[in-house]
Amino acid sequence: MSFVEHTVTADGFDIRYVAAGDGPPLVCLHGAGGLRLSRAHELLARTHRVIAFEAPGFGESPANERSASLRELAATMLAGVDALGVGDTFDLCGTSFGAKLALWLAIDAPDRLGALVLASPAAIRLPGTRPPEDPAEMMAILYQHPERVPPSAPPSPEVVAKQLTLVERLIGPARDEELETAMRTLTVPTLVMFGTEDRLTPPELGRHYPELLPHAHLVLIYDAAHALDVDRPEAFAALVADFLEQRGQFVVRRTSGLLYP
Amino acid sequence: MRAALFSIVPYERPSRPRGWPVPADDYSAEVAQASMERALDSFAVADQLGFDWISVAEHHYAPGSLTPNPMVMAAAVIQRVKRAKIALLGSNIPIQNPVRVAEEFAMLDTLSGGRVIAGMLRGTSNEYVTYGVNPAESRERFIEALRLIVAAWTEPQPFGWMGRYYDYRTISIWPRPVQTPHPEIFMSISSPEMAEFAAAHRISAGLAVTTVPRARESVEVYRAAARQHGWDPPPEQVLHRAAVHVAGSDAEAWADCAPFATPDRPVGALSMANPAIDEAVAGAGYYGRDTAQQRERIMAAGDLRERIDTGQILAGSPDTVLQQASAIRRELGAGVLELAFIGPTPDKRRRSLELFGTQVLPRMREL
Repeated sequence: MSFVEHTVTADGFDIRYVAAGDGPPLVCLHGAGGLRLSRAHELLARTHRVIAFEAPGFGESPANERSASLRELAATMLAGVDALGVGDTFDLCGTSFGAKLALWLAIDAPDRLGALVLASPAAIRLPGTRPPEDPAEMMAILYQHPERVPPSAPPSPEVVAKQLTLVERLIGPARDEELETAMRTLTVPTLVMFGTEDRLTPPELGRHYPELLPHAHLVLIYDAAHALDVDRPEAFAALVADFLEQRGQFVVRRTSGLLYP
Repeated sequence: MRAALFSIVPYERPSRPRGWPVPADDYSAEVAQASMERALDSFAVADQLGFDWISVAEHHYAPGSLTPNPMVMAAAVIQRVKRAKIALLGSNIPIQNPVRVAEEFAMLDTLSGGRVIAGMLRGTSNEYVTYGVNPAESRERFIEALRLIVAAWTEPQPFGWMGRYYDYRTISIWPRPVQTPHPEIFMSISSPEMAEFAAAHRISAGLAVTTVPRARESVEVYRAAARQHGWDPPPEQVLHRAAVHVAGSDAEAWADCAPFATPDRPVGALSMANPAIDEAVAGAGYYGRDTAQQRERIMAAGDLRERIDTGQILAGSPDTVLQQASAIRRELGAGVLELAFIGPTPDKRRRSLELFGTQVLPRMREL
């Protein structure tokens, strides 16, 4: 399954995205480090049309000084989805910073989503935590299994600095009262995943989500740090695919335990 | 130094060795009932004598132990033992459903008012045959199961677990443990891998089926790894298990013990009851990176003198046994001595328990 790169113009931005697969659309929003694909995306593309956007201001795109808030950027991303003509509803998966972006999109367009997936969401953070600047330390905090990181050229220092400026401008407070109040009204089925080895958004933060989101299901991904899809791609893809298919009924096992008929 | 009375609750009728699994063709329900009753009675006596813990453990398919589910036994023990802690050393978590283990520990902690010590072990080699779990995966299953059990005890919201060996979509156990954040966990540190894991997670250390010289090597690995993780295990987090027999004099005790220390009774009698199975389990990679030393540890035999000298058996008068306990405290920095009472007859074992409780235990406090 190979992802093909495209660009779509929406809300005045030229937005890069990569897509692969057929089936129901799954829109992915990346974390603060920018767009990257993992083996989990490839696995999900077997059952879904996976569309991974690069938010304006990330990667090689021009610096984004126009989006005034994360909520506004969420509206831009929805315009991007609509420009692709994916249909009335789609599933949405946000990672870390992108999970907070996804929450705003869900809050402002609740009828558009079939299901929401939040991977290591950074919508609620421990006060004072920010990603380390040292690249080696960053690797250690992102990955429990650095040997599973797909080979790719690291972004240039200019890109890293540009992304960091944008993230810091948009991310909002560690506890965002406006967002959390709005989260309580959200009824879309939501899967929330945290890695048991995550030190950036530690798994203890997971418990806030079922408290705020009445339709949330919290799942701990064992042996994974912050980048869940890289550390445990098979587990990540199997869980997400199951949730997208079954929604809240994913708690009911449907695989057979029969050994010998 | 603290003392624990340990019993795997043997079926109390002499029998010739019959390998493993042991056929039940001459099984007597009366003997089994009497054996359990006697064990419960000795636990109650130990509680009154001031023992700090009562410990039970999990073993399968042999008369050596009548507690394949030590949780069930612990629930009975709690009815008779009102003061001492109840230690499970342990539950063999890699062959169990870890959520069920978390639930059972939480039930026991609630029933006992917070007196449970949660030992988690991999079990002896033959245990992997019991429920058909691949022994090659034992260590990874152990580590994941332990992490999952702690999460089940402590996560306040329902959560799913997407593991490597375990996949649960929603967990929210009731009751919860009484002790906060959870009961103290003990695990075996006999292999270097597990000593390092225990140290990294600040888990208390158990040493059993071993000798003091071997245990000292394990404790050194554990303490060195703990220092790397920024802590120094206190004595009460290091437990040594040994057999014990106290009599009026050294000569009497040693004569009583002689039948228990013969070359055909290796330290790891349970593992070695069926050498072919142990061989196959070892071949699957069960023992880890120092297989040879681990199997040597289990197959070790030796005469009584040698077993006393290496801390496998404490035997003698109360004064002698106190000195032997003192040596273990000094050599290992162990603050908990877990004792299985051996002795030729129930009456001798009872007298030994009482001698220990009245003449050794009070003075062990000073060690």
